[in-house]
Amino acid sequence: MPIHDQGYRRYAGLRKAPGRAWSVIARTGIRTMVARKPFIALLLLAWLPFLVRSVQIYAAANLPQADFLAPDARLFRQFLDQQAPFLFFVTVYAGSGLIANDRRANALPLYLARPLTRLEYVFGKGAVLAALLLFVTWVPAMLLLVVQVAFAGSLAFLRSHLFLFPAITLFSLVQVTVVTLLMLALSSLSRSSRYVGILYAAVLFFTRAVSGIVYGVTRDSRLSWISVSSNIEQVGDALFRLPSRAELPVAVPALVLALLVTVSILVLQRRIQGVEVVS
Amino acid sequence: MSLVVARGLSKWYGQVIGLNDVSVSLGPGVTGLLGPNGAGKSTFMKLMTGQLAPSKGDIRVLGEPVWRNPSLYHRIGFCPEQDSFYERMTGAEWVEALVRLNGHSDDDARARTRRALAMVDLESVADRRIGGYSKGMRQRVKMAQALAHDPELIILDEPLSGMDPLVRRKTIRMVREWGREGRSVIVSSHVLHEIEAMTTNILLINQGRILAEGDVHHIRELIDDHPHKVHIRAEQPRALAREFLADDGVLSLALQDDALVVETAKPDAFYLRLTALAASGACGAVREVSSPDDNLQAVFRYLVK
Amino acid sequence: MATAVRPRPTSMMAATARIFDLSFSQMLWSRRSILLALLVAAPVALALGIRVVSLVAPPSVFRVNGGVIGGDTVFGLMVWLLYIRFVVPVLGVFYGTSLVADEVEDKTITYLFTRAIPRGAVLLGKYLAYLACTVLLILPSLVVVFFLLAPIGQGSIGGSFPQLLADLGILAAGLAAYGAVFALVGARFKRPLVAGLVFVFGWEPWVLFFPGYLKQLTVAHYLQALVPHAMPADSGLAGLLRAFRTVPPASWSLLALGLIVVGALWLAVRTVERREYVLEQ
Repeated sequence: MPIHDQGYRRYAGLRKAPGRAWSVIARTGIRTMVARKPFIALLLLAWLPFLVRSVQIYAAANLPQADFLAPDARLFRQFLDQQAPFLFFVTVYAGSGLIANDRRANALPLYLARPLTRLEYVFGKGAVLAALLLFVTWVPAMLLLVVQVAFAGSLAFLRSHLFLFPAITLFSLVQVTVVTLLMLALSSLSRSSRYVGILYAAVLFFTRAVSGIVYGVTRDSRLSWISVSSNIEQVGDALFRLPSRAELPVAVPALVLALLVTVSILVLQRRIQGVEVVS
Repeated sequence: MSLVVARGLSKWYGQVIGLNDVSVSLGPGVTGLLGPNGAGKSTFMKLMTGQLAPSKGDIRVLGEPVWRNPSLYHRIGFCPEQDSFYERMTGAEWVEALVRLNGHSDDDARARTRRALAMVDLESVADRRIGGYSKGMRQRVKMAQALAHDPELIILDEPLSGMDPLVRRKTIRMVREWGREGRSVIVSSHVLHEIEAMTTNILLINQGRILAEGDVHHIRELIDDHPHKVHIRAEQPRALAREFLADDGVLSLALQDDALVVETAKPDAFYLRLTALAASGACGAVREVSSPDDNLQAVFRYLVK
Repeated sequence: MATAVRPRPTSMMAATARIFDLSFSQMLWSRRSILLALLVAAPVALALGIRVVSLVAPPSVFRVNGGVIGGDTVFGLMVWLLYIRFVVPVLGVFYGTSLVADEVEDKTITYLFTRAIPRGAVLLGKYLAYLACTVLLILPSLVVVFFLLAPIGQGSIGGSFPQLLADLGILAAGLAAYGAVFALVGARFKRPLVAGLVFVFGWEPWVLFFPGYLKQLTVAHYLQALVPHAMPADSGLAGLLRAFRTVPPASWSLLALGLIVVGALWLAVRTVERREYVLEQ
């Protein structure tokens, strides 16, 4: 045909297999966050404790007078505890607008009108936050292990503490999963990312305050399951084979966290809809 | 008397130039601010209403500088482009609250509100929540808040956006009426025929620069390097074409069914000749003469190209 | 055209009052006030729960180091852990940072800034509306909590009542101070919430531990100095803080809080009057 049709043509190229659309959402979300200078500053700040711990490990490995600083499981547990404030700020910064901004812009119907399931949408959004949170928890913790091996010049510590690999990984996953799902659920409840950020802070700090009051009144740590962060800490203690901070079997905080995750999923299931029913 | 005087006015947002060295003077009556999206219309209006400060140059409205001069806002009414309200308030409550902010007493504000809502045909729904308004009602209540305090200068940013054809016509008529009543209105749009329906006095803006200002017909005449197109429906279009073929002012001739389309660089001489031919009947009857580009669209196309 | 009868220019005070009128009911009845309602109701619910437990459970439940805790101690704990360290700062962050930011986000700021009122009146009026909303709701909540908890362990309502009055004043001062500081943060920063949370949950708790002058750059240092109840030692670090904290005199704390309110509001008003708010397209 000598004269070609310049009109609209249907796409005839390759398409990726269905079920991968979440990765587009994740990639775009991460790129958007990482393009913001204040966020980069926050991430850099979050790696300062890693530097401090690296110096500690170096000193312990190379200076006999710094023997007392020798690393053990507690060091890695404490490191992850110290990352908790950064976990909080990164979650508020990166997570509060994940779904709230889409709701504000009425973008949910646009997303779900594409060959994208609600699960993929939530997974993609969750992957944004989870990736950033793992970058300030799991990645530096694992790197600390590598640093320990590098400075010690032997695998002895690693061999005697092999459980640290799964402990760090599992604990980071527990932290990140609970926090991510909670933040996504809260983000789906409002169109204002600011409101979501405050709600998240309120959930964490209010439950901690109530737990503190109850402990102050009764001196009984068995009610510490009221606090979300306390539950995460106790699960962490169990994974690192450390004595628990509260007189509670680990099954209780684990159950509370599982319940929180379930409620978050139910909220997301209800709130992520392609249409909004106006009564 | 100039209502808005801009001298060397520039506004930039970081690296992006919103308005570039604009020097213009807008008089009373209805002025259409015309330009494509991103041309700088809203920036100009925000500078006129004191929401933004000039990066360079200055702008005076009603003889006074406008940035950080809230007392001037008694005399200006602004209808912004964005569709945002206090949704839980009723139309009457919202307009009344804004009028009260201008310093009017409660009773006066109430009376003005009712008048303004009547002017925009919203009296029947004045006590309904704005959240329950249709798009056209929302645009009209926005206009009501701009009028209620009886300003000397009304500035409307894309007032017809989202309106259905009937409401659109009503609004255009209303703006024309305001002009006839002696109010001064500056109205922006990127839809050419809307502006044309409201006024012939335009300010053409593109990429932050003023392209042209004044009467649309006058502007068209001044665009010398663009020939005029004349569409003639005649009994014998070919005969007419033969007559004009030798004219040095005629640049092209095209036959379309029973019409002849002529492009001429000398429209005055051409029309004189056409009139004489039509009167003599030498080339049959001439049924209709029109100029497809003696309108805003053609002017816009030529200038924005 | 109707002859325009121009009203006299609106003074700052009159304009502030009108903005207050407009904002007060909006703040009280907006969906976001669900948070305020929760923060009002939650301490009451907790106090009710503690009271019920005190009535049905054996007295040994409320014991520390062998001694029975009185209602005033429990109330003091609530004031410290819930109100002073959580409710007041969170409300200050939430409402303070959103005074102008909400209007900008909702794109309704245009209507306010094109009225014949000073821009600063918008901020002041909204600040006063925030203060009125929060004070009118949080203070009664504290009173209810007091009446629920004071009688626990043979506590005396009459005996503890002066402390309640002091607590009411302290909460009001805290709401005013935090609100003013975060009004400034909201006026200046693009992402004021994160800055606010960093201040309240990052800067303040940490800086209070360190000796020196840094703690004077917090609201908590002055506010906590006014609290009549003993500071709880809910952690090892808190115990250390309790042992080593320097408490400024009450008069100086009140003056400092007043200066913070006035200074922060003045700067916030200045910022709002000079700043250009470019709305997102």
